[in-house]
Amino acid sequence: MSDIIRRDPRAEWIMRNRLHPLHDQYMSQEEGGEVRGPSGLIRKFPHKVGFIGPNGIKRIDRLKGNSSAPKGKRSAAAQEVQLPLHKVDSPDYYIMVVADMVGGRLTGHDKDILGLAHKLIAEQGGNGAVVAVCFGEVKEENFDTAGVDRVLHIEGEAFEGYAPEARVQALAKVEAQYTVKHWLFPDSIHGGCDLASRLSARLGERPATQAWQVNAEQTVSRGASASLDITRQTPKILMLLEECADAIDETRHEATPITLDDVAVSAATIKDKGLMAVDPNAIPMAEAEFILSAGNGIHNWDQFHEAAKVLGATEGASRVAVDDGFMPRSRQVGATGTWVTARVYIAVGISGAIQHMQGIGQVDKVIAINTDAGCDMVKRAALSVIGDSEEILAELMKLAAEHKQTSLSDQAEENSNAA
Amino acid sequence: MPHKVISLISVGRHPQSGRSRRADQDSRAVELGLKLAGTDLDVVHAGSSEEPVLRQYAGMGLPKVTVLEQAESADALPAISSYLKTQQADIVLTGVRSESGESSGMTPYLLAEQLGWPIVARVADIVEVKDGEAQVLLALPRGQRRQVTVKLPFIASIDNAAEAARQSAFGPGLRAKMEAQSGSTEEDSVRVNWSEAPAKARPKRLKVVKAKTAADRFKAATAKPQGGSGKVMKNESAQEQAQAIFDLLIEEKIIR
Amino acid sequence: MVIDWLPSILIVALLLIGVVGMLRRSSLWRAGRPEKVNIIAGLLAMPGRYFKDLHHVVERDKYMANTHVATGGGFVLSMVLVLVVHVFKVEQQIVAWALLAALLLMLVGAFFVFKRRLNPPERLSKGPWMRLPKSLIIFALTFIVLTLPAAGVLPEGTGGVALIAVLSIGVIIGLGELLFGMGWGGPMKHAFAGTLHLAFHRRPERFGGGRSTGLKPVDLEGDVLGVAKPSDFKWNQLLGFDACVQCGKCQAMCPAFAAGQPLNPKKLIQDMVVGLAGGTDANYAGSPYPGKEVGNAKGGPNEIITAGLVSQETLWSCTTCRACVEECPMMIEHVDAIVDMRRFLTMEKGETPNKGSEVLENIIATDNPNGYAPGSRTNWAADQNLAVMKDKKEVDVLFWVSDGAFDMRSQRILRAFVKLMKAADVDVAILGDEERDSGDVARRLGDDATFQSLAKRNLATLGQYKFNKIVTTDPHAYHCLRNEYADFDKDGALAGVEVLHHTTFLNQLVQSGALKLDAFKGGKVTYHDPCYLGRYNGEYEAPRDLLRSLGIEISEMERSGFRSRCCGGGGGAPITDIPGERRIADMRMEDASATGAELVAVGCQQCTAMLEGVVEPRPEVKDISEILVDQLVEEVH
Repeated sequence: MSDIIRRDPRAEWIMRNRLHPLHDQYMSQEEGGEVRGPSGLIRKFPHKVGFIGPNGIKRIDRLKGNSSAPKGKRSAAAQEVQLPLHKVDSPDYYIMVVADMVGGRLTGHDKDILGLAHKLIAEQGGNGAVVAVCFGEVKEENFDTAGVDRVLHIEGEAFEGYAPEARVQALAKVEAQYTVKHWLFPDSIHGGCDLASRLSARLGERPATQAWQVNAEQTVSRGASASLDITRQTPKILMLLEECADAIDETRHEATPITLDDVAVSAATIKDKGLMAVDPNAIPMAEAEFILSAGNGIHNWDQFHEAAKVLGATEGASRVAVDDGFMPRSRQVGATGTWVTARVYIAVGISGAIQHMQGIGQVDKVIAINTDAGCDMVKRAALSVIGDSEEILAELMKLAAEHKQTSLSDQAEENSNAA
Repeated sequence: MPHKVISLISVGRHPQSGRSRRADQDSRAVELGLKLAGTDLDVVHAGSSEEPVLRQYAGMGLPKVTVLEQAESADALPAISSYLKTQQADIVLTGVRSESGESSGMTPYLLAEQLGWPIVARVADIVEVKDGEAQVLLALPRGQRRQVTVKLPFIASIDNAAEAARQSAFGPGLRAKMEAQSGSTEEDSVRVNWSEAPAKARPKRLKVVKAKTAADRFKAATAKPQGGSGKVMKNESAQEQAQAIFDLLIEEKIIR
Repeated sequence: MVIDWLPSILIVALLLIGVVGMLRRSSLWRAGRPEKVNIIAGLLAMPGRYFKDLHHVVERDKYMANTHVATGGGFVLSMVLVLVVHVFKVEQQIVAWALLAALLLMLVGAFFVFKRRLNPPERLSKGPWMRLPKSLIIFALTFIVLTLPAAGVLPEGTGGVALIAVLSIGVIIGLGELLFGMGWGGPMKHAFAGTLHLAFHRRPERFGGGRSTGLKPVDLEGDVLGVAKPSDFKWNQLLGFDACVQCGKCQAMCPAFAAGQPLNPKKLIQDMVVGLAGGTDANYAGSPYPGKEVGNAKGGPNEIITAGLVSQETLWSCTTCRACVEECPMMIEHVDAIVDMRRFLTMEKGETPNKGSEVLENIIATDNPNGYAPGSRTNWAADQNLAVMKDKKEVDVLFWVSDGAFDMRSQRILRAFVKLMKAADVDVAILGDEERDSGDVARRLGDDATFQSLAKRNLATLGQYKFNKIVTTDPHAYHCLRNEYADFDKDGALAGVEVLHHTTFLNQLVQSGALKLDAFKGGKVTYHDPCYLGRYNGEYEAPRDLLRSLGIEISEMERSGFRSRCCGGGGGAPITDIPGERRIADMRMEDASATGAELVAVGCQQCTAMLEGVVEPRPEVKDISEILVDQLVEEVH
């Protein structure tokens, strides 16, 4: 939309002229328009009166549009706010954050840890700097707003792909070259945990794993399969859970590159042979994050399997579909089948027997595709579409195919960089 | 020549009842060990030979379990490490993280460091062992796999993606031999200073709105919580309906 | 003349060969494990058991009952008299006439056997059994002719050598079947083995109107847990298998067989016979296990049964509904045998199929089959204001909630029952989180170690408190508590305690006027008998009385009462989930729909779940307590 504010003199005129035949119509479009009550009295709806002014404060225009400036609709030309720059000159110590950098970009988990690193510096005092240590290809452009004071990008063929041995040698070198106060790693399956454990063993440090409440003195970490909170002195190496701290969002940082002296990498005993293609159906259903589940309402099973493939979903089924032999028993979702924890669960033609609902109790978002708008699944679902499942799945597959086409190049890039 | 495989086992903890059980990853390590070495597999536990959970492991068809007899508070690492040094093992299998105690998952790494062996973490399967090298599949998120080769001898920590452990049969478990050897008496001196408490539920992160104006703050504070009944699309065309579903999938980052 | 003596010699010779065969056969049974049996008392009780209990079962088929009385009775009588007349040569005409009468009786019986065999129903085995009526007729006719001279009807020596020769052939054919066959594994084996089976039955409590349905505990110290080889059965179990007459009544009743799952109880018992005698099933002439060919099974007394004789799926297809046992005229215990063999698969081999191992592991770790946190067992009752035993210590009625506490559908039944008890002002409490799974599923899946551990721990809990009655809505828990816990109840935790199913208990309340109920105004209602309530515990009437007290006239299904068809939910069958051609629950729902009922009343949460799992349209399914609670007249206090 154009940012130029335009007046509509005719509308203003009509609104000023109460005798104009279109006056009521124009006024009722505006907030706080006149409404006549049952006895013919003009009623004001006080909640509708006024509008939010440019400063976010509610304004009541008592001029009834007679003001010289037309009301409302001031364009929200979002001004690019320049955040204050946080500068660290010749730091006394460093906190190293070895980021996962899935797909070459900082993950949410990484950003939380960068936030924690700043929190630790603030508590400990001194002139500390937060360093993001990254390996391989880096596509991240917003190191500055994520709270990175220094970037240590360790490049070289030896560190590409899956090379934990070479990487840990580089990290040991970092330890020798810089004054490192803490090593922070995401306790993740993207490699952070593995690398941290290797470094701890190499340096002879006892790390805190699954840490989630950390300050300069004390660390609370989970133990005994997350059933125990262990409180201890904050160690040098920490593996942190997600949401251990808030990410940086109010400051900008230098993100100055720093370098590492050459690392003599010894020959690797572990050799990377690359990724293997995996069928989404091989993922255990209980762990799958996206499930397309079929019930009694499915008639075109070939299409259903095809749809699951195109959408990259793990297949699930209701008990009836399993009993009728269309799906294997291992795919059954429900009280007597598997309890799923998916983030999104699309129930196609499942009306939602109570046992099935029990099995999807932990699902975040349920989408129902059904012909019966009154069924229990529709009541549970965040989004329900009522109609023929075959048609809707066909459309959905079309959309997915189109989407793939457009983002193909982007995806190819990401895959090659996936941890 | 058959390879010598050792699986390390620990006492697990059931996530719901908190009761002792065979640990999920450890029993998968035993399963993989049985696949590689059959009943020649050496299964080692550092702890008490009276521990009933060992019978559950033995029920997987193990004729014997080697127990490095030691107190519960003693550090398992020195005992296992010195035991491994006496054995000519090719492959040592462990779980990624134990289900009881600190659950740091450091055991395999420290063993690897002490023995000077390579370690591969989160193994889904060991496909083939040939010419002093093993072909290993590593588990990645979302069911992905990475193929690597490792030189023998090595340590592997077994991920939940590895093949599930076979059922434990009561009879063989009862009859298996517990071969006790003396373990270590070294106390875990660091751990003594820790305080341990049952885990508190972690608060869910709230969406904090850092509003610049009073009106925005007011809006954020009084905004209706999400939830309630979902959106129902009844009369739209199939195309619109599919679009709505697709938008939700994009929004949830299911489709990228 | 020697030739005159020929029939007598033949009789004696065949009798001796028959006896040798019988001794040999007994030695086969003795390969089984020892089991203490009161031999003398058993033998003395045998005739009574035959005429009362066995005949009671046979009498359900009047035609066959009369036929069998005539044939069997006639044969026994004539055999004795044949010895008197033709071997000991007692020359009194009256005896000869008596023999003639007995033979005629037998002939008439044999004729009806013959008639049935002209176009036999599918359940009957063919093969040698088709020959039997002919052999019987030959026997009767031969001895009639042979006896006529002794009776003075024909002069001695009539017919000369030729006739004697023909008659001798008749004697060989007839007695060959009846005496030689009896000892050497012919169809007549059933008479000999059956007689001894009745005398030495493993569950003597079953006779004289009693009931014995609880499984026998496994000795966990034994060198093999469960039955791996035929010789691991108790000797009298082997004897029992040999008593089978292959009438196929079990097959006709078996829900798994009807559903096309690979189980046929008759074939199973015959395979056990093959196992105890050694050999193959090539001579089996009845219906096969659905989907499996006959002739490939091989076994011997010391060979592993599941390695060639019986496939594992066959054993896991059973729902332990006991329809076969109820129907068996020879009182064979199919379910005991199946569970014995399952015990080996689970406890020795660790091969419980499908979800079985997961369920067992859950039961071990959490005391419930689905692995819920034990501390959430009482969550369902958060709004029920129920007293907990821990606080009360002493109460009149202990409500055993069972694992239905975790299932949202079953919770509706529990709530309905609690509401009824409250309305009747019952002094009731629950165990709360102290309760554990009864062990039913573990035991039926063959894990007796887990069952015993649960039973002992449950009994220890129960032993801490005082109560007069235990009531439960779950017939499976009811069966365990009532029939199976006694084996482990050393401290008498349940001594003097009445264990009741909720329908029995509610019926008492209604009869005593403690519950006021309106008349039911819905449509037609039918009642499904849960196996573990009916056949296992003999409770057929209380649920029906309750429905009648609402003014409901029950439209009975064709198979109801002791012949009720299983819902498919017992014995861990939904867990082991052996594929068939149809689902048992669907068949049962067809039975229900055939009555035109709009509502199926059930007394079991498992049956409710199974029957509700049938795709709509179908009649509604409700537990009796749910039906009652809708008609409850609540008094305002």
